[in-house]
Amino acid sequence: MKSLTRRLLLLTTLWVALGLGLMGWFVVQTDQRQIETAADARLGSLLDAVVAAAAFDPSAGPILTRPLADPAFERPLSGHYWQITGPGGSQATSRSLWDSRLLPPLREPEGVRARDVEGPRSERLRLLERDVQLESRFGLVPITVQVAVVREGTDEEIASLRQNVILAFALLGTGLVAVVALLVLWGLRPLRRTQEELAEVREGRRQHMDVVAPAEIAPLVAEIEALIEQNRATVDRARNHVGNLAHALKTPIAVLRNALETGDLPGARAQSATLERLVQHHLRRARAGALAGSAGAECMPLALAEALATALRRLTAARGITIRVSGEADARIRADSQDVTEMLGNLMENACKYGQRQVAVRVTHSAPGRITIEVADDGPGLPEGEDGAALMRGVRLDEAKPGSGLGLAIVSDLAALYAGHLSLERSTRLGGLSARLDLPGRLASESYRGPD
Amino acid sequence: MRLLIVEDSPELHQQLRTGLTEAGFAVDGAMDGEEAFYLGETEPYDAVVLDLGLPRVDGLTVLRRWRAAERAMPVLILTARDSWTEKVEGLNAGADDYLAKPFAMAELVARLNALIRRSNGVAKTELVFGEVRLDTAARAVSRNGQAVRLTALEYGMLAYLALHAGRPISKTELTEHLYAQDFDRDSNTLEVIVARLRRKLGDQLIETVRGQGYRLIPASPAAAAPG
Repeated sequence: MKSLTRRLLLLTTLWVALGLGLMGWFVVQTDQRQIETAADARLGSLLDAVVAAAAFDPSAGPILTRPLADPAFERPLSGHYWQITGPGGSQATSRSLWDSRLLPPLREPEGVRARDVEGPRSERLRLLERDVQLESRFGLVPITVQVAVVREGTDEEIASLRQNVILAFALLGTGLVAVVALLVLWGLRPLRRTQEELAEVREGRRQHMDVVAPAEIAPLVAEIEALIEQNRATVDRARNHVGNLAHALKTPIAVLRNALETGDLPGARAQSATLERLVQHHLRRARAGALAGSAGAECMPLALAEALATALRRLTAARGITIRVSGEADARIRADSQDVTEMLGNLMENACKYGQRQVAVRVTHSAPGRITIEVADDGPGLPEGEDGAALMRGVRLDEAKPGSGLGLAIVSDLAALYAGHLSLERSTRLGGLSARLDLPGRLASESYRGPD
Repeated sequence: MRLLIVEDSPELHQQLRTGLTEAGFAVDGAMDGEEAFYLGETEPYDAVVLDLGLPRVDGLTVLRRWRAAERAMPVLILTARDSWTEKVEGLNAGADDYLAKPFAMAELVARLNALIRRSNGVAKTELVFGEVRLDTAARAVSRNGQAVRLTALEYGMLAYLALHAGRPISKTELTEHLYAQDFDRDSNTLEVIVARLRRKLGDQLIETVRGQGYRLIPASPAAAAPG
């Protein structure tokens, strides 16, 4: 399972470890260099002191005219040494060196040279050396002055520095990760709370969600609440609907039972027809109600009308009715394609039923944002003042024609669900009925153009 | 006329079988899609009544497979699914008619008769052969205006010959279209039926074509001409 908390913590830990590690390394490097520079500076001043006190005696070679301030140079093998090398290998050394010697000087260019060497007791020494010219009676004499001090102190200082830095940064890193963990847990708490409330709603222990959500989660919570509301409304509607259906069915069933007991077959047949009509009506209503919320899809009315025309041509093959479909191929209707097929199918079937020879379907872009589908036939049309009745549920204009009589009412109801409208008038072109179905839509070319 | 009924509900299947047999059809039945496809592919049916929700293979698939195998018999879809989307799907898959449940048996029979007539290129419901008049919608036969009572097999043979008037029909073809698969054919041989028809409707009506079978002679050109 993907856990946000785990992912955030893992990333934070990696980042903190990498960042702090690099930073620690830099700090240690910088400080180590400073410590070594300071140590070298102290050693440099000792070197200066030795140089200042150095002199050259032609008989004895290099000598130190006065002892150094630090008594460590007098104590044997104390770790503090100096050594002066004159021409021809003549040497003077501190008493501390006893019978050992420092490494011979390097023959290198001017300046102070620093290096790490091994001392008489195999200790690590820091050695500074410098070539100088001493004035004497024989003119300038070149000598090399070396001063070496044990490194112990410096190394200890560096080790303790490294230890401190590692400790401090480890503490800092742990703290950072801990704070991030707390932040994540605290930040995600509304989500957890939401989930708990949702579970309570699902279990029926709670009617609404009361969680006070931060701005980032509030829309989600609002959507969930809306969904719960919609769900509840749907369930209520369904329950209502089932109740109505049961009531509506009970009367015909009672009549049917009586008719069967008394052997009244025509009566039984009529009741069964009523039952059938009721079931059909409620089924279609239920279907329409289920789909009404899911707007957003678009469909292509011309293609739907053509598919319907192909199907209806098969159905009416014996009667030789010509079905023509024309209009905007670009038209798009903002409605579920099954619902549009249902509306168009009912209108076109009606037209085929009542038409004599011709049925014409036209898809037009009637106004900005509106698509109109006109289904016209050359049948008898509507008697004056009857168009309202045709749209009323279950009323048939012509009882002789087969059909439930629900067709136009269903079309009208469905159209209303999509903010559309069905109107009936006399067709000026074919002379029969013209049913105009007006629905929200657009031309595809209005907002984008295809490659052709 | 021989029919295939494809319906998986046992009660409705039995009702259809009874109703359509009473209406004079020779009826075979299938309870699932696989059996239906096999029967429709191998037997020469005059029409098929097809339910859509079937076990194993659904009705639309069966229909598409028949059409892909160039089986052209008229198919009437009989289903509770009555939305236009489903009707369009069924008709454009190759069905010739669509009837939604619940339905009246009389309407189913009328539609099947119309489908069979249409598939044989006959538009009129009433066919006239000299003094004999055949009403395919009412399944009524009259001679010189006098109604003649025919058994289902007699009517079936007359109607089959009438729909193919002018063409000699072999005994094999007649057998295939008059009897259901499980029918005991011995007691009703074709010769016996033809003899009874000649006795009831006149000797001239049905001609024996040597080596080829039987033929109904189109008496008036209008009666036999399609359309």
